[in-house]
Amino acid sequence: MECSYCRGQVNRYLDGELGYVEVAELQAHLDLCVECAAELVELGALRSALAQWGTVEEVPAPDLVARVVAAVEAETAGRRSSTYERSPDGILATVDHLLGRVVLPGGREVPVRKIIGWGIAAAAVVIGIERRHGRRDRELKTS
Amino acid sequence: MAYSIAYKMLGDRQDAEDATQEAFMSCYRRLATFRSESLFSTWMFRLTVSAAADVRRREARRRAAGTVAANEPVRETRDSTDGGSLAAALAELPPDYRVPTVLRDVYGLAYQEIADVTGRPLGTVKVMVHRGRASLRLRLRSMGLVPHAYKKRGEV
Repeated sequence: MECSYCRGQVNRYLDGELGYVEVAELQAHLDLCVECAAELVELGALRSALAQWGTVEEVPAPDLVARVVAAVEAETAGRRSSTYERSPDGILATVDHLLGRVVLPGGREVPVRKIIGWGIAAAAVVIGIERRHGRRDRELKTS
Repeated sequence: MAYSIAYKMLGDRQDAEDATQEAFMSCYRRLATFRSESLFSTWMFRLTVSAAADVRRREARRRAAGTVAANEPVRETRDSTDGGSLAAALAELPPDYRVPTVLRDVYGLAYQEIADVTGRPLGTVKVMVHRGRASLRLRLRSMGLVPHAYKKRGEV
């Protein structure tokens, strides 16, 4: 087996794409070739490190959530206000009128658009948790 | 979080913020098409990856047109030590290698899924991931970093 071909096979092995015979052929080459054996071990370690890195949360700018919510609100306003008179002060009121309000326990009224905003923020958190626990983690066998 | 996924794919805070915003706008627009048989988080993950891939394509077109060549931002260095060397090595990868490699090895997507989301042929995606891995390995080595497992093996 040529080393250049072996490097491709190493990647296919790491991706779980090799059959039994191909694995045996690869193993035979790795027993003789230190360089290719190192490639397998290092790429395997690299993949583990990358998977681990995927669980590290990046910290966004503090105002990102507010900006995203504002963008969605603007989208909401753009869609719903076509049959209503648009004015700079009236858009949010129009949105609230169309979407209605929700009475929270304690009697406080909150516009539905705010609930939607909170829902999106909560979804963002849930997704972070889901990705952390949901990734298929494949351990590699190194030799 | 959507921002983390986008940032790891794109390696640029501004691009990641744009992708996050687009992902949530897309979520809002397509909420009616969400089918409850799949997890909402899985659906949202797909929207985020797709939005980030769109941002990446748009940026590539802008750069090709030379519109941002004069004030292209300096690549940022990470202030965190967690994964800092990996992030630094990834930041030096061409985006064509970085995006599929992150989707494959950080988030575990199948090659076909990566091909679908990036709009590239399956074979091309595989080659890019293989090259991305090899390039990352060499860059980490040039930083003086060798995986622990290899050190142990080398001593034998």
